[in-house]
Amino acid sequence: MEQPNLLILQMQQKNEKAFERLYGMYSEAIYGIIYSIVLDEPTAEEVLQDSFIKIWDNSEAYDVNKGRFFTWILNIARNTAIDKTRSKSYKNTKKNLTTTNFVDILTSYDNLNSKTNAIGIKKFVEKLKPTCIKIIELLFFQGFTQKDAANELEMPLGTLKTRNRNCLRDLRWLVIGPQ
Amino acid sequence: MNEEEIIASGILELYVCGSLPEIEALEVEAAINRFPNLKKEVEIIEASLITLAENVSPPLSTVVWTYILNTIRNVNNSSTTQRSFNWASVSGWAAAILLLGGLLWMLNQNNTLEQKVELTTTENSELENKLKTTEKDLIDTEKDLTDTESVLAVLRSDDFNTVLLPGNKDVAPEASAKIFYNSNNNVVYIDAKGLPKAPKGRVYQVWSLKMQPLTPSSMGLLEELNAVKPNLYKFDSFPTAEGFGITLEPKGGSETPTLSQLYVLGTVTQS
Repeated sequence: MEQPNLLILQMQQKNEKAFERLYGMYSEAIYGIIYSIVLDEPTAEEVLQDSFIKIWDNSEAYDVNKGRFFTWILNIARNTAIDKTRSKSYKNTKKNLTTTNFVDILTSYDNLNSKTNAIGIKKFVEKLKPTCIKIIELLFFQGFTQKDAANELEMPLGTLKTRNRNCLRDLRWLVIGPQ
Repeated sequence: MNEEEIIASGILELYVCGSLPEIEALEVEAAINRFPNLKKEVEIIEASLITLAENVSPPLSTVVWTYILNTIRNVNNSSTTQRSFNWASVSGWAAAILLLGGLLWMLNQNNTLEQKVELTTTENSELENKLKTTEKDLIDTEKDLTDTESVLAVLRSDDFNTVLLPGNKDVAPEASAKIFYNSNNNVVYIDAKGLPKAPKGRVYQVWSLKMQPLTPSSMGLLEELNAVKPNLYKFDSFPTAEGFGITLEPKGGSETPTLSQLYVLGTVTQS
């Protein structure tokens, strides 16, 4: 789970192979985030392409000693996706899709889904309380700042942080196993 | 704050989500550098969130990576490359991806394609011999075709060009389809024996493709209505095609092809 700093440095030196490895490691998660924002596969594919092209073009703007690489590319992807939802062509085709959240998407997939921990993740989201779903949706999927999320949910900042942590607690066992 | 208080406060989760103001993010980084346990905690949080997001992701086509690679290579080669974000329509966009992904893929397939296209131009007497020596993965299809005289007549005719549609390695590597295309009167027969059975509620849709600019047009669905024999379908009245693709679509078909469900694709080679 350590960040692949060597690959990141190689990508910054325009090494395509390193970039491909990083794409393999992060693209699916990033695609999930983008899809939860644009809710349309062709549009999400387009945003994913644009995001990774930006990551390549601006790779030297990331500093391995500062911040997580995942957080950096997450911000790029969410901003690109949100820009897309504001575009004219998107508005013309999508209208009433605003109420779908990540749990709705996840539970709509059938059980043949072969992703890592698919069954455990499904159980995890099915048990999530509505407030937890909103908190995770806003902070992780939609990329709200803590201040905006606290305002939106009418919750003090400290409460927002601890509740978010509690909401995510069971998720970690799926990844590292019980300790 | 000590390590445990930092972890319990939930600030590390917000740090990974990118929701902290810059000054707080810097404080977290300073703390991470001081306490190795915090770094481990951040890595676990990040891995959890990545797993969650991956499970929200629809199937991801590798056509996307091909497109990214082509774009960054073009930019490296000439700084004047432009990308237009004002796509006229979703179909225009889809066509561009199909073109780039398809072209690379077709280059790879080129040798095998050429070999196989020769089949139709061969003398009748040679045809059956050649069929026996065709690659193993085609044997089933060929047998089926020799079954009846009427199908053989189509295959033997010089008017029909054979187009092999190999499986898209990301979606259905084992899949294949064979098209017999008469470009004089725009009639095709499609041998769909190599396609997996369509799941319930889904149906295969056939697209004729023009290359420049790449334009997919629906030819119709692989359903009873268009079948002339089991797994053999006939279509006519469609625009002259330079290539063919088959996608899996919701029942009733779609207006534009769903690229992530592109099962097979091939081009017409002039013989």
